[in-house]
Parts: sequence; structure tokens; C-alpha cells
Amino acid sequence: MSGVNLEGITKAYGGFQVVHGIDLEVQEKEFVVLVGPSGCGKSTTLRMIAGLEEISGGSLKIDDRVVNRIAPKDRDVAMVFQNYALYPHLNVEDNIGFGLRIRKESKEKIASSVEEVAGILGLTDYLKRRPADLSGGQRQRVAMGRAIVRQPKVFLFDEPLSNLDAKLRTQMRAEIKRLHKRLGVTSIYVTHDQVEAMTLADRIVVMHDGRIEQVGTPMELFQYPANTFVAEFLGSPPMNMVEATVGASDSGPIAIVGSAQVPLRRLPELQNCVGEKIIIGIRPEFAVPQPTGTKGAVPITVDLIETLGSEALLHATLQDKPFVIRTETMTSSNRLENVGAFTVPPEMIRVFDAESGRALLGQGKAQ
Amino acid sequence: MANMNLYSRGDKLFVITNMVLIGLFALSTLYPFIYITSLSMSAGFEARAGNVILTPVGFTLEAYSKVLSEPQFWISYKNTFIYTIFGTLMSLILIIPGAYALSRPQLYGRRFWNLMVAFTMWFHAGLIPFFLNMRDLGLLDSYFGIIIGFAVSGFNIILLRNFFEGIPQSFEEAARMDGANEFQVLWRVYVPLSKPAIATVALFCIVSRWNGFFWAMVLLQDEEKIPLQVYLRKVIAELSDDEEFATSLLNASYSVETVTASIIVCSIIPIVLIYPFLQKYFSKGILLGGVKE
Amino acid sequence: MSSDFDTAGSPATETLVVNAKESVRERRAAQIQRVGDHLKREWQLYIMLLPMVVWLIVFLYKPMYGLQIAFKDYSIFKGVANSPWIGFEHFQTLFSNDQFLRAVKNTLIISAYGLLFGFPVPILLALMFNEVLSQKFKKTTQTIVYLPHFISSVIIAGIVITAFSPSAGIVNTILGWFGVDSVYFLTRPEWFRPIFIGTGIWQEAGFQSIVYLAAIAGVSPTLYESAVVDGASRWQMMWKITLPSILPTIIIMLIIRIGNILEVSFEMIILLYQPATYSTADVVNTFIYRQGLQGGQYDFAAAAGLFNAVVAFILVMTANAISKRFSRTSLW
Repeated sequence: MSGVNLEGITKAYGGFQVVHGIDLEVQEKEFVVLVGPSGCGKSTTLRMIAGLEEISGGSLKIDDRVVNRIAPKDRDVAMVFQNYALYPHLNVEDNIGFGLRIRKESKEKIASSVEEVAGILGLTDYLKRRPADLSGGQRQRVAMGRAIVRQPKVFLFDEPLSNLDAKLRTQMRAEIKRLHKRLGVTSIYVTHDQVEAMTLADRIVVMHDGRIEQVGTPMELFQYPANTFVAEFLGSPPMNMVEATVGASDSGPIAIVGSAQVPLRRLPELQNCVGEKIIIGIRPEFAVPQPTGTKGAVPITVDLIETLGSEALLHATLQDKPFVIRTETMTSSNRLENVGAFTVPPEMIRVFDAESGRALLGQGKAQ
Repeated sequence: MANMNLYSRGDKLFVITNMVLIGLFALSTLYPFIYITSLSMSAGFEARAGNVILTPVGFTLEAYSKVLSEPQFWISYKNTFIYTIFGTLMSLILIIPGAYALSRPQLYGRRFWNLMVAFTMWFHAGLIPFFLNMRDLGLLDSYFGIIIGFAVSGFNIILLRNFFEGIPQSFEEAARMDGANEFQVLWRVYVPLSKPAIATVALFCIVSRWNGFFWAMVLLQDEEKIPLQVYLRKVIAELSDDEEFATSLLNASYSVETVTASIIVCSIIPIVLIYPFLQKYFSKGILLGGVKE
Repeated sequence: MSSDFDTAGSPATETLVVNAKESVRERRAAQIQRVGDHLKREWQLYIMLLPMVVWLIVFLYKPMYGLQIAFKDYSIFKGVANSPWIGFEHFQTLFSNDQFLRAVKNTLIISAYGLLFGFPVPILLALMFNEVLSQKFKKTTQTIVYLPHFISSVIIAGIVITAFSPSAGIVNTILGWFGVDSVYFLTRPEWFRPIFIGTGIWQEAGFQSIVYLAAIAGVSPTLYESAVVDGASRWQMMWKITLPSILPTIIIMLIIRIGNILEVSFEMIILLYQPATYSTADVVNTFIYRQGLQGGQYDFAAAAGLFNAVVAFILVMTANAISKRFSRTSLW
């Protein structure tokens, strides 16, 4: 099977360690996205898989073969670069066929492969053009064509959409997804854009400071972030993080936020820890706006309403920190001005340990 | 900005004065060339009498036929072509791969190698040790000595290295993933991408080869091997020192001055012919080589 | 302190030492493996580098080794390595040699005058080119003024010799119109420096203006636009905006020129001077050329060359260090 297997992969420049032991198993045909803020080691990890960076420690297997010391060209992987790295002096046809020509394939083979790939990517009419005469989206396609034509075991993508404008990015994102469905090649994709990660990935790997924070399907990560970092990183606008104290009530545990009380799920971790500090995470989508003075709701001060059309963002302050609520306008617009509090269904609240930032997920939901 | 109507009277005066001054400077640069060309086509006695100012006086091409009928002129001309062509090729063969290697971040001891190049620009052993070295290497009076001995210059290395460094590394990486080895990366990707910089270096080499004089004079005794500049110098020095010869020509259709002038014109022509290419590249090149580390 | 001695031989410490040795060995082995891996991956780079490095060693570094003859009684038959050492004898002779001292003096004077008169011209030219409105006129004039840079010194010298010739030269012809007697300029010591420096400016000023033009091109157009709105004249903009903007470049170029003060284009001097003008024209390198290459006193001339090179090196390095302070990026 054409999986990729990382075991304790590390990278150090001189004495400075940038990747601290990555363990990851990418299944055959899987689309895995490495996501994280810049400097988190995601690109370095990808480049180590590509063979562009030497691996300082650990073992890397592609297709069950250890490739730590194998040259990039012999790893049977292909990569799409952030700036595409299209050769400006070659036309589209020669760009796509470059790798085949280097590998001394026959002319007929090159021509037919290039033609096929161009067909898949809709580049047939542009084969004689130089990269400079192409639009951003077309260049992006040529870059993918160059990777596809070699029929590698693994595709690597290094932020391939970051040079495109927002509209094109959405479009190309869908195209990459479609292509992956069609070709079914194992893909590892690096981005700092969490929307790309959410939309493209079979599984997302969230990285931070050279470590993996969490691995899981997009919905797993969205619903059950393992810690405050992942919680704040995924989702837009990000999850609201509110400092609170654990309290108890007749109906179960509560979080005390200022003078307000927020009922929580009955998490086993919350037993016997009344008075301890926690952080509760509330997604803007799950907070339900309420008129000022609603009983049992958490009071907030709304200072700005951004209307986006079907939805609106309420920018409020809670405990001197920004608190954002996303709400539908079509059903509730006439009430927006009166909002002065919110409620949240207990099952929609994520609870984190204030010290470690780790999520309290309850039994059976630990990662 | 180009619309003069928007300018005040003072500005108009300034702009016009400026143009006149620049025009004068350009004319004064051009004049010596016009003068020499006219001289080369003037009658010998008119030139001798100092009557040539701007245009040829007593038009004749006698001086040229005198110059062109001299076998040594053609030998030297041929030699200059040999030194220029092979010298430039030698430079490119040594400099392009070397500069490429220096530009690669993965090269071990990169600082050391770069310093090794830069140091040669700061410190020269000087004329004598260089000459003795050439002699010890058996490169006196040899075509190969001239071609190899001046093939590399630190400035050209750094110019090209800087250009290579400016090419995103992802081109190398993409080519490597496509299966190219380092030589293929250089030859099929970096060289085509660096055409302007390589053209600049080649043109610098061509000009310095074409104009090279001092070392050719010092290292070459054999008349069969001397380049045009050395021959030109010999002719100028001999003619201008030889008053007897000069007076003997008093009424001839050519003179010392016209002969000198026509050799000068003959040796400038190739440079003037490549000058449009030169101009396209050198200003970029000079700036490219100027900034380092 | 004594307890340290006590534990020195204890088994625990020994293991520590052994472990330390082991880990040093391991680290070294790992390092060797890393270098090995690297060479296996990148050996082609070193093949590319090799010819150039060999060239540098054979043609530039080996002569530096040959510089030792400055301290030797060099004989062609014994070669560089086997000639006997004589210490600083050549330098003592050198510093009591009037011709050498004169050459040092001439070098400095010619450089200083060259700097004084030659340095401002390219700056002025660049400023003036910048004020030309017609692009066509600008291009044409630039094409003309860059040209002499590419003409060989032999030809330039040939033109100078012809133009200043006593019998037929244009200069004397013009002087003749004003009733001035013909002068054989190139045999007159007092005329050598003006002719040499003037020729240099004529040949190089245009080309040198490129650096300043590039600096001017980097000035933000909004500066001029806001000045126009404020009612500034072109003359004022040239002095108040353009010139201050390129001042850093000017300072760096000045520092570099001062650093290269020993670099006089001696090739041109060899072509223009004659025994009659040695008193003002002979510079260090022409002195070395005559003594060494023409006179065969290799060791003595090499000593003069070494002196020249060391002083030049110190000046260049100083200039480089200063210009680095001005600009982060140093020019060559």
C-alpha cells in the first residue's frame, strides 16, 4: 500500500530543533492536511518527506520502504510548490513533460502522457504557451500537471493556493478535491489556512511549535478540539475562550463566569473540583443571542454588529475580552439591537483545563 | 511629467539649459571618434598639416589599403578573435558551474569558498609574482596561457552567483524532484533562466579580451601570437617616434596620423558592432555585481 | 577542592568519562555519516566548484606564495623556494630609492586629483540625465557617453597621442588659431597629469553615472509629486530631493574610491608616459613594471608590489568596513 509513515521524525538546524518527533500514519489514497501557524514545522516536515531536507532523526517510510537516505527523485513522490516553480523558458507542454524527459522516456510516451494530463486539467488549448502568458489558475494547473504526469505514489502540496486571490482559491480548492477523488493518490497538503484544511482533508494534522497538536477528521477537530490551541486555530471566527470557575448546581456542574452561571455537561473530570479554574470554549455559531436581562443568560455588551447578509456577527465584550456571536439575520434581524446576553446548550460548550489547556472531553471521547 | 506646458518659465529655462549642457558633453565624447575617423580618410599631407578638424580633407582610403595590406595586421586580428572567442568560452566554462555551486545554500563551507573568491578582489600578489608564475607554468608565449590565465575574475563570479541566488530555490527543488541531477538542474533550468546575467558576463569577458593589452604585451614575444592591441601599440609607438619616416611621407597620400587613425578605426569596429548588445546588459550587470552578501 | 580529588578515581566518575568518550565518538561517527550522506547527495556541486577553485589556486593564490621572493635574493635558476632569504633588504633599498618614493608620491597625487576632479562629474551627469524630459534624447546621449568605457586603453592612448601631436594634432591646430605656439604636450611633465586625468574622466564619467542613475531611479515618485504640489521648481527638486536621496550612494562610492586610491590605471600611464615625463607620471605599478618586467629585478620589484598590495588591502578593507556601516550591504 502506498502509505506514508513517519516515526519520531525530527529536524534540527545546528543545535536548533524545529521539528520534535512527528508520528503520523498516512493511509493509502488518503488526503492529509498539515495545518498550523507559520513556523510550526509543517513545511519542513513536508520537505523532509519530499527529500528536500535531510531528516535529523526518526524514520520515514513510503510504501513500507524506509526512504530517509533516498534521493528525492527515487522516492516516487511529486510536489506542487507554493510559487509553482514553472520553468519560464519552457512552454506548458515542456513544463509538464520535463520530468519525463529527464527520465529519458520515449517521445511518444511523453507526448501521450502530457496530452492525457492536459486533458484532465483542461490545459489542452494552452500547451504551446509560456507560463508568463497564463492566468494564476492556469499556472496552478500546470504545476499540478507536472506532478500528476509522473504518476507518483504520493502527492505533496506546499501551500499551493496561497498565491491566488480569494475567488480563485475557492475554485482551485474544489478542483484539487475533485482531482484527488478521480486519481485517488495519497496526498499530503500543507497550508496555514484552516478553511482549506477543513474543506480538503480526510484528516487534518494540526501542528504547533514543531509538534503535532491533534490529528483527526475535520469534524472531529471542529467538534472536539484536543486543546485550546486547536480550538482557537480551527473555525472562523475562532472559538470564544472564556475564563471560568467550576461550580456545582442541582442539575450538574456549572461554569461561573463573573456573576453568571453556565450549565455544563456532566463530565467525569469535573467531579470534585468545584472552585478550580477552567476555560470554556464557545463557538460563535453556538451562542444563542438573548435580549438584555434574560434570566439564566450570560450578560454581554454588544458594541458592533457586522451584517454579512444571511448572517451577522455580533462583536461583544465579556470580561474585557472580545466575544463574537454569529447569528442568522433572516429570522432574527429585528432583535439584533436588543441583544445583551447569550445562552449556550451545555453540549455545545467545550471545557479546557485552565493550566494545561487540554480539553476535558468526558469518557469515550478521548481523542 | 513630460508636459512642458505645465512648467513655469524658470523650469523651462532650466530644462533647456540642462539639455544643451548634456548635448555638449555627449558631443565632446563623440568628437574624438569623429576626428579619428575623418583623419583616417584624409590625405596624408593634409593630416600632417593639421587641416583635419571635423570632416575628411582630401578624401582617400590609401591609409586603409596600407593597413590592410600589412600581413601582421591580419595575424593580430585573427589572434584577437582567437583570444576573445576561446577566452570567453573558457571563462564561462569555469565561472558558470563555480558560481552556481557557490550560490547553493546546501554547499558545505560556503562561507569559506566565497571568501576565497572575494579575497582575490581585495589582495593581489602583484605583477611580478603573477608573471613568474606564468613563466614557471610554461605559459609564456602561448595561446593557451593567455586564454586560461585570465579566465576568471572575482567580479564576474560574484555577479553570476548573486543572480543565481536571486532565482527561487524551488526551481532547483522542483527539477530535482523531477529527477534531474545537479548538472541537469544547472544546464536545463538555471542557465536558461540566467540568460541576461550570463550574457552580461560574456560581454564583459568579450570586451576585456578584445581590449586586453598589458599582459599580452608582457607575456607574448612571438609576433605570430600577439593580439591586435599589442600590434596597434607597436605601430603607434614606432610611427610616432620615427620622425624620419614621418617626414619621408610628407607628400604621400597617407601619413603617420592617417595610418594610426585607420588602424584605430579598424579595431574599434567590432566593439561598436556589439555595442547595442552591450548596452542592453551592462547597466543591469554592473548593479548586479555591486551588491554582495 | 580536595573532595574533587577524592572522587576523581571513583567508579562512578569513570563511567561518566567513558560515557562522555563514547558520546563524543558517537557524535563524531554521526557527523561523519552526515558528511558522507551529504557528499553522496551533493557531490556534483563540488565537481562544479572544483575547476574554478583550482584556477584560483593556480593563478591567484600560488603567486601569493611567490611573493616571498620580496624577502629573498631571487635567482631564476634556484626558483622561488630555494633562493636564499635576505630579510628586509629589498625594503630598505626601496625606501631609500628616490624613484620609488617619487612613484608613491605620484600615485597619491594622481589619485587625489583624479578624485577631486573626476568624482563629482558622474554625479552631475546623473543628476542632469534625470532632468532630461525627452526619453529619446536621453537614450541617445547616454549611449554616446557610455561608449568610451568599452574602448581599449591602447586606442584611447592612440587618440590622445594623435590629438596632442605637435605637428598635426587638433589641439595644437586650435591653439594655432589663437597664435599660440605648438606645444609637444606629451613630453611636458606639467601637462601629463591634466591630460591623464582628463582622459580618465572623458572615458569613465558617463559609465560611472550608471550607479547614480540607478540610485535616482529608486527615489519614490511621490516625493516629487508632493514637491510639485508644494510649488517647488525643478532646480529645487534636484537639490532638495534627488541629491539628498542619492547621498548614501555618493558616500559609499566616495569611500570606495578613497579605499582604492593606490589603484591608478597604470596601463594607460605606460601607454602615455615617456622618460621625459617620468617625474610626474611614474606611479608604483609602472615603477614595478620597469624595474621587474623590463629590468629583471624581480625580487626588488616584488617587494615594491608587496608593499603596494598590503597598503591597498588595508585601505580597501577599511573602506569596506566603513561602507558597511553606511549601508548594511557593502559594495565590492
